[in-house]
Amino acid sequence: MTKPTISNQPVQPPEVMIGAISRMLRDGEWVATGTLSPLPAAAALLAKMTHAPHLTTLIYGDPDFRLSEGFHELFALAQQGKIDVFFLSGVQIDKQGRINLSILGEYNRPSVRLPGGAGSSMLSALVRRVIIFTTSHNQRLFVPKVDFINATAADDAPWRRGGLSHVVTPLCTMAFDGTKKEIVLETLFAGVSLEEVVRNTGFDLGIGERRIPIMNPLTDEELAMLRGPVQERMRRIYPQFAASVWGS
Amino acid sequence: MHSDLMKVRRDLKTVRDPYSGNEYVVVLPVIPDVAIIHAAKGSRSGEITTDATRNDRLLAMAAKKTIAVVEELVEPEAVLPGRQEVFVASVHIDAVVLAPGGAHPTACPGIYETDAAHIREYVAASRDEQGFSAYLEKYIFGPADHDRYLEAVNFRGRKQS
Repeated sequence: MTKPTISNQPVQPPEVMIGAISRMLRDGEWVATGTLSPLPAAAALLAKMTHAPHLTTLIYGDPDFRLSEGFHELFALAQQGKIDVFFLSGVQIDKQGRINLSILGEYNRPSVRLPGGAGSSMLSALVRRVIIFTTSHNQRLFVPKVDFINATAADDAPWRRGGLSHVVTPLCTMAFDGTKKEIVLETLFAGVSLEEVVRNTGFDLGIGERRIPIMNPLTDEELAMLRGPVQERMRRIYPQFAASVWGS
Repeated sequence: MHSDLMKVRRDLKTVRDPYSGNEYVVVLPVIPDVAIIHAAKGSRSGEITTDATRNDRLLAMAAKKTIAVVEELVEPEAVLPGRQEVFVASVHIDAVVLAPGGAHPTACPGIYETDAAHIREYVAASRDEQGFSAYLEKYIFGPADHDRYLEAVNFRGRKQS
């Protein structure tokens, strides 16, 4: 069997995002990924193979990750406080870090009805850190105010365990400022201009006078690990995603 | 609600179910710091199969840490529950200990039965302090390790391999 030759290709946007998410994971954490989450799954595998060997990865859909009864076990682990990091996405995300997965427009007369919030509401409150990932970056996604709130980034609920930590997009990383309770721009990916991010974001990113650093999230070693063993694992877990990034 | 338990257990509380309006007794969940369960098969990655008629999986899910003592260590693909077994995922298991005969003097269903003679000996020994001390010395503190214990109790239930 011949392995695809990918080593000489330039680094692609999904690989950059995987590298950026990987660096946000800390050694020893329990990291769970839900449905339709190939970027976080690859990031968790990459982190475990590089800087975080004691990471516990719970990758839903991984044929090597067996549950006893069903997905509810992951919810139960989150309730018990055993899950440190979970990943969410949204069809709308606003400045306060709230996400919308339910509808566009008015709830009773929506212009688009979406699949719904799934476990995002409870998971965002029960895990220690939420990382939001998106596969696009534009003003339809990053809006001043979401049409419907499925999950909040932070609030004053007495039982809340954690909340939004970071947002990773194809252009940049954002952090959640716990004091201001707002999303702020953290780093730009190489080749992306500040102007491009500002123009595609529907709210103020709290840049002010700050110089936004450029992030190169993959060293040569990390890239080799990503295109080697991580890529091989991903072909079993998310074959279509793997083929789209690394060829078939 | 009308059990005498409500008279002797003053700590038990009742709540009104906001959906039906009925009054129910509610108890706090039991959250063990450590659960030690016994299982037939386990793998190094921490997945096990255990007796379906018991509640060991629930125990493993409830406890903060769970140690599984297993009769046999097998490859992950071979951790498949038998007809009277359930699978317990590795997310619920913190450590696997290989100790064939580890359930003695109680049974490991399908592999060995309860050692009734030994339990009778234990019951007899526990009638007084002196007898119980002798029992502890002979079977618990005396044997240097688990294999010596199995020799001391003349264990015959070891799975033939």
